[in-house]
Amino acid sequence: MKKKSLSKEEVLQLSKLAGLTLVDDEIVKYKTQLEETISYIENLNELATDNVLPTSSATFLKNVFFDDGEKNKRGLNLEEVFQNTQNKEGNFFKVKKIFDE
Amino acid sequence: MLLGKSVTEILALIKNKKISSKEVIDYFLKRIEKYNKKLNAYLTINKSYKADKLDKIKVPIAIKDNFCTKGIRTTASSKVLANFIPPYESTVTKRLIDTSFFILGKTNMDAWAHGSSTETSDFGPTKNPWDLSRCPGGSSGGSAAAVSSYLAPVAIGSETAGSIRQPASWSGVIGLKPTYGRVSRYGLIAMASSLDCPGPLTLTTEDAAFILKIIAGKDKFDATTAPNEVPDYVASLKKKKKFIIGITDEYLNGVDGEIKEAFYQLVLILEKLGHKIKKIKLLSPKYSISVYTIIQRAEVSSNLARYDGIRYGNDRTFFGSEAKKRIMLGTYVLSYGYYDAYYKKAQKVRTLIIEDFKKVFKEVDIILAPTTPIAALKLKEFEKYPFFGEMMDVLNEPAAIAGICAISFPFGLTKKENLPIGLQLMGRWFEEENILNLTYQIEKETDFLEVIKKGVKNYPD
Repeated sequence: MKKKSLSKEEVLQLSKLAGLTLVDDEIVKYKTQLEETISYIENLNELATDNVLPTSSATFLKNVFFDDGEKNKRGLNLEEVFQNTQNKEGNFFKVKKIFDE
Repeated sequence: MLLGKSVTEILALIKNKKISSKEVIDYFLKRIEKYNKKLNAYLTINKSYKADKLDKIKVPIAIKDNFCTKGIRTTASSKVLANFIPPYESTVTKRLIDTSFFILGKTNMDAWAHGSSTETSDFGPTKNPWDLSRCPGGSSGGSAAAVSSYLAPVAIGSETAGSIRQPASWSGVIGLKPTYGRVSRYGLIAMASSLDCPGPLTLTTEDAAFILKIIAGKDKFDATTAPNEVPDYVASLKKKKKFIIGITDEYLNGVDGEIKEAFYQLVLILEKLGHKIKKIKLLSPKYSISVYTIIQRAEVSSNLARYDGIRYGNDRTFFGSEAKKRIMLGTYVLSYGYYDAYYKKAQKVRTLIIEDFKKVFKEVDIILAPTTPIAALKLKEFEKYPFFGEMMDVLNEPAAIAGICAISFPFGLTKKENLPIGLQLMGRWFEEENILNLTYQIEKETDFLEVIKKGVKNYPD
């Protein structure tokens, strides 16, 4: 099995993309574990798949639509929408500013 | 009087006024109080039953903590959702409540269902009722342990690749993974959406059929549910059907000697019952591990992106180690330059695995295999094995990836350690009727119910 390697920067970049903050020993730990996993999954290259179509779901269903109005039946009222948050102002969720003025 | 009674039996007792729903619920709450500290099967107990309308018949049920239950805390065993109270009911629990069930409580699991031991729970591991130094399996470990120790007569679990069958096998109960799309995922906290599948863990085959009949079927809130008619699984148990059953060496590689012995014992019994055994060839399950690893991580990274701590739950610093690792690998296999090499490749091999099963299912009706390569491992043992979960689920992953149905049942105990052995039957898409029918025939012909009863007896009233 050919060993794949990841740099520390790549691990940090992944954590940034995923919105996760890592401490130093986590970086080292995840680097090793990710390398191990990535090396293992290489075995898929033993199988030829040139003329194979990718599967996205195993249900074999096509073109599933909601009937009119059905979707709204699962709607929540305002109280239910906000019952699990502390970041509320009026009927809005309060979030950190993304752009500087 | 109640100890070890199945759901069907309890329902009959209530209907015949031998006992009231309240007495049954109190009985289980008392048992939970007595044993749950030791086992850690439940994370939350539902004490609302006094307010619940008990004029209707109510049988208790345990629900894995990744099903949203309106008004009852739902954590997916992660501190991210430590205080989350769902504002809506999942379709599975709604159907159960509307029929005749009372939710006793929410059961422990691997955090976000990432794992096969229930040890990655942020609220401590669940212990295997057969041996407290061992894992119950996972990720539906709390559900399996609750049924096995009779802290509930039935439980709901969910499986992405092995999470119902593997803990059922290690904890010595029956676990049914329906066909993907047979049971609604609406309100199930999403892990890998193209694989997630709710199903029951039970004491008898009849209960598995009974519960499936209630939870199966088209749901307008889950577009992946199939419109196929839901048969009367219970009524069809009693037909003495004959099957062609496939067995394959690929599923016996690296399997423990005693489990293999149990497997061959069952082969003889099936022949005696008039079924035909046929050797088949399937793709090595090692490819399923890779396909599963890529697809599951990719879908995890996208599903868990919603946990931002703004609208509900805590922020992303509350993720445990296993979730972080999976999110990062998922991000990697989906990122620019790697998408084709990993994700698309895995989706193509998924097609090969599906085609492989389709081909085999032209020759045979059902495939028989062990559920796990070994019996329950000790707690913390998984740290020694890289890929622990995947290795323990190697025999479960192909069926999950293909989306077919499968059922695991106990078949004897290991001699030295006295631990349950699990065997499984895999059936064609939407042919739950057949695998339930054959399990029922095996249940009647062998003493596999004795294993379950023995487990229950370890926890007297």
